[in-house]
Amino acid sequence: MYKAVVIGGSAGSFQVLTRILSALPKTYPIPVLLSMHRLKHIRSGFLEALAIKSNLPVVEPFDKEQIKPGRAYLAPANYHMFIELGNRIALSTEEPVHHSRPSIDLSFITAAQAFRDKMVGIILSGANSDGAYGLQKVKENNGITIVQDPNECQVRTMTEAAMKLTRVDHVFTTDQIINFLLKLN
Amino acid sequence: MIELGIVDTRNIINLIAEKYNYDFSDFALTSFKRRIEMLMEQNNIKHPDILMNRLMENKNFVDSFIGQINVPSTEMFRDPSLWRVLQDEIITNIYRETGTGFKIWLPNSVSGDELFSLAILLVEMGLLDKVQILVSSMSERSLDTIRSGLFPEYKLEISYDNYIRSNGKFSLSNYFSVVNNQAIRDVSLIKHVTFFNQNTLLEPAPQGVKLVLFRNKMIYFNQTLQSKILKIIYNSMTTGGYLVIGAKESLGLLYGNNEFTLMNEAENIYKRRL
Repeated sequence: MYKAVVIGGSAGSFQVLTRILSALPKTYPIPVLLSMHRLKHIRSGFLEALAIKSNLPVVEPFDKEQIKPGRAYLAPANYHMFIELGNRIALSTEEPVHHSRPSIDLSFITAAQAFRDKMVGIILSGANSDGAYGLQKVKENNGITIVQDPNECQVRTMTEAAMKLTRVDHVFTTDQIINFLLKLN
Repeated sequence: MIELGIVDTRNIINLIAEKYNYDFSDFALTSFKRRIEMLMEQNNIKHPDILMNRLMENKNFVDSFIGQINVPSTEMFRDPSLWRVLQDEIITNIYRETGTGFKIWLPNSVSGDELFSLAILLVEMGLLDKVQILVSSMSERSLDTIRSGLFPEYKLEISYDNYIRSNGKFSLSNYFSVVNNQAIRDVSLIKHVTFFNQNTLLEPAPQGVKLVLFRNKMIYFNQTLQSKILKIIYNSMTTGGYLVIGAKESLGLLYGNNEFTLMNEAENIYKRRL
């Protein structure tokens, strides 16, 4: 049984993400963790925009919050989102990585340490290389690695950077990602 | 990138606890491990044994290690709406109720961003010379950095914007000078501040504090240490005193459920009950 689906995205990923969230049922048994690049100084709005389309409740977790199934956890503005041992979320305000806080790399690295082969890492459209190193760590720990098909991405830099560093398991369109996640269920 | 094992991390924690009396065993493991990995990277230390040796032999290195393990704050006037509430409600209320001379404590300071933001807020309220600001840190080196006024360039732009959003009266640049391409904060703002050293439990803690600014510090502790520290903070405060924690921190199930009342949910401001 998988313990988490971790999704990273940046420019051009918002609509892809809302499609994924609207396709997953309310009873989806695997926790979904979202590390998305967003404006540092705007705390509200993003969560609400995602929640409208999502069947799963979307929350911005508090520090040390227990990770539970049937929920999507969105990294809060201006915090990194780590996975702490004991299946909890830990937040951090350390230096930005690839100019980003939240950093997709840091979510993936810490998730790979905590979940090992019991996780799925997905990189969506984006304009920098954040997430590539983290996805490599997911792969090294035998997690499943997926990138959105660059041909479908609004901005392909992030997916291509990930594919350059790692032999990813799957290159999927949004529909294929959705189908995969539903079957994983 | 160096990857440190859990055992290595534990060994480093034990060494520092035994030899230097700083107990990091209840720091949140994931971020603590990462801080050490980053420090090794920056200091070009390739192996945990080499780090252990340097920690054994070099006391100055230990202080700098502790300074770097603690995470600096991200910018000045982070969460501008909080600074508006501090100005319009919290500090105004305290001043109205107690008059001059009240204490504000900033525990576990690392970069001085909260301190300088507070000092600027107070100077614009005409209160800077009417309050007692206390700043504690685990590291002498961090205190030196704070007192030097040095400010990294990558934080400038967001700090300028935050200051405007916080309803600052002028421009943040009024409080900076540039020397050799390096931004330096106006250290006359902090000339009356009391600085002191503390351990990982924030001891020694002051007494009779009216306002504690403690944002995004507890996130680096596990729940055991969070509870212990909250108790120490509670004891340092007066009844009715205010505690400000980070936007995504929570007193939740910790010590504090009965001791504090959440008085502003959006800004995470608590009030000591009894």
